[in-house]
Amino acid sequence: MKLVKISWRNLWRNSTRTNVTITAVALCIAILIIFQSLIIGLIGKAVHNTTNLVVGEVQIHAIGYLDDRSIYKSLKNVDKIRAVAKENNIGMVERSYGFGLISSGTKSAGTQFWGIDPESELKYFDFANHIDEGNFLTKTSLKKVVLGNKLARSLAAELGTELVIFVQGADGSLGNELFYVTGILGNVADNIDRGAAIILRDDFDILFSTNNLIHEIALNSNGKLEAEEIQKLMSAKAAGVAVETWKELMPTIAIMTEKMSVFMLTMFSLIFTIAASLGVMNTLVMSTYDRMKEFGIIRAIGATPWLIIRQVSLEAILLTFLASIIGTVIGLSIAIYLQVYGIDISGKGNLAFGGIVFDPIWRASVSLKSVFLPVVLMMLTSIVASIYPASIAARIKPVEAIHYKP
Amino acid sequence: MSSKREIASLHKVVKNYGEGKVLTKALRGISMKILEGDFSVMMGPSGCGKSTLLNIIGGLDRTTSGEVKFNDENFNTLSNKALSLIRRQHIGFVFQNYNLLPVLNAYENAEYVLMLQGVAPAKRREKVMHLFQEMGLDGLENRYPRELSGGQQQRVAIARAVVTEPQLVLADEITANVDSETAQSLLELMATLNKNNSTTFLFSTHDPAVIKFAKKIIILKDGIIHSEKASIEETGQFAHR
Repeated sequence: MKLVKISWRNLWRNSTRTNVTITAVALCIAILIIFQSLIIGLIGKAVHNTTNLVVGEVQIHAIGYLDDRSIYKSLKNVDKIRAVAKENNIGMVERSYGFGLISSGTKSAGTQFWGIDPESELKYFDFANHIDEGNFLTKTSLKKVVLGNKLARSLAAELGTELVIFVQGADGSLGNELFYVTGILGNVADNIDRGAAIILRDDFDILFSTNNLIHEIALNSNGKLEAEEIQKLMSAKAAGVAVETWKELMPTIAIMTEKMSVFMLTMFSLIFTIAASLGVMNTLVMSTYDRMKEFGIIRAIGATPWLIIRQVSLEAILLTFLASIIGTVIGLSIAIYLQVYGIDISGKGNLAFGGIVFDPIWRASVSLKSVFLPVVLMMLTSIVASIYPASIAARIKPVEAIHYKP
Repeated sequence: MSSKREIASLHKVVKNYGEGKVLTKALRGISMKILEGDFSVMMGPSGCGKSTLLNIIGGLDRTTSGEVKFNDENFNTLSNKALSLIRRQHIGFVFQNYNLLPVLNAYENAEYVLMLQGVAPAKRREKVMHLFQEMGLDGLENRYPRELSGGQQQRVAIARAVVTEPQLVLADEITANVDSETAQSLLELMATLNKNNSTTFLFSTHDPAVIKFAKKIIILKDGIIHSEKASIEETGQFAHR
C-alpha cells in the first residue's frame, strides 16, 4: 500500500467536490494552453512578418555603414558569407543603397535607391509580394522602378510614369537617368512607403557608377534557425563586418514583441493559476477539516507531521495531474483547431501596430512550450496551494484531533 | 515481579486544562510504573483522568509538570516528531470508537503502521495475515470499516495496535461500544496476546468485565491514584499496594 493509493482514495471520498475542482482546474489549464498558443502564434507571426518582409533574421553590413549609410562603406569579399548561407540553407539577398533625387513633372523627392536582385528578393522575402499596382521587377526590368506608395503619391506618379533621377555617383560624377514606374508597393513599412525606389542592381551600378557594390546582406532562414544562431555562424566566418540580428536592428520592435508576450502571458497565467490554485486550496482545506480526526489517528499511530504534509500535497498533485490531462486534451484540441483555422481579426488587409505587422487571421502556434508551461505552472501552484491545508493537518495535536467533531 | 523490566514511568505528573477560572486539573501528581508484561486496568468515574493519563503515557499529550519516561527517554525533552517515532515503534493504541481509517480496508488498516515502519510488503503481508488468522479476522481482509460490525472493527483496531509487536498497548474504553459477548472475546484475545507474546497492556475502562482479566487494577479518583491492587493471579489475591 503506497501513499499514492491512500491519497487517491481520499480524493474520491467526496467525488462531487473533487469533480468540481478538477473541472475548474482543467478549464483553467485549457484556457491557458489556448491563450499561450494564441499569444505565441500572434507574436511569432508578427516577428515572422517583420523579419520576412524585408529585414531578415540577420543583416550584415560593413562596419559603420548603418551610422551614415555612406555609399563607400560596402562589403568586401562576401564569398565566405555566401558559402555559409548555402551550407546552412539560409536564404540570402544582396542589396545596394544610394541616395538621390527623383522627379516627376514638377514634383520631386529625396529618395533612397535600392539596387536588388528581384529573383532572390521574391524567393526569400515578402515585400516584393506587396505590390499594389503593376508588377514587381524582373531580371529584364531595365530602367524600371518600383516605388513606395507614399513616395508615388507625393510624386503623383502612376504606372508608366517617366521619372527623372539625379544622383551623385560613387566616383563623384553626376548620374541621371530616365526610369519608368512599373509597380507601386502597398503598405510595407514606413521607410519603404515614403522613400524607397527599387531598381535592378545593374541599373544601380550604372546610375551610381559603381561596380557590384554590396551594402547589405539580408539573411532569412524562414524560422528554421534562430537569429542568434545565424549571427553566430556568420560571425565565425566573416571577420571585420557587422553581423546583427533583427532584434539589434529593430530594438523597439523586439522589445515591444517581447514585452507584449511576457506581459500578456504573465497576466493571464497569474489570473488563471491563482484562481485554480485557490480552488485546489479550498478543496483541500475543506477536506482537511473533514478528516481532522483521521489525521489525529494516523499521528497517534506514528505518522510524522512530514508524512501528513506529503499526503495532503500528494492529493493536490493527483488532483492537478488529473485536471492537467483533461485540460490538456481540451486545450490542445481547441489550440490545434485555432492553429489550422485561426480567428479572423481583420476586416481588410494587414494590421500594423507600432511597426509590427499582424496577420488578418490570428492563428495559434501549438508547441511543447505552450502545453508544458501551463501544466507545470498549475502543478507548482497547486503544490504551493496545498502547503496551507497540509500545514493545518500537520500541526494538529493528535489528542485534540481524535476528539475533533466537524 | 521486581525482575520485570520497566517500560514506562511517571513521576509527579500534573495535567491542567484551561486557565484562570476555567482551570481544570485533570491529573494532580501521578507517579506510577508500567512493567513489561503488565495487563493493567485503570478504573474510576468519568472525568477522573483515565484518558488523559493514557494520552500522556502514549505521548499524545504533554504534561503540565512532572516527568514521563518511556524506555528511559524523557518525553518532556522530545520533539513531536520524536514522539511520533516512539509511538510508531513501541506503542499501540486501541480507541473506544475503533478509529479505523475509512479509505483503507481491514488488511490495509492493520498494515498501515508496518508501512510507516518501512517493513517490506511481503513481510507485512505475512505478519498481518498471520495475525488475522489468529484473531479470527481471516476472510475479512478486503472489507472496509463500514462493512464490518463493531466487534470486527475493534478486532481490526487491536490487530493494528499489536501487529508491530509494540512494547505497550494502550486501550481506551475498548469495550464501551460492543456487546458483552464481543467484549469478552476481545479481552480474551488481548489476554492471550499478553500471555503468549508478553505484550504489555494498559486499559482504561468503566467495564467491570475487564477486571477479571486484569493483573493490576489502578483506581483513579479526581486525578490521583486512589488505590492500586495486584490481581489474585499475581499475588494469590487482590491486594492493595
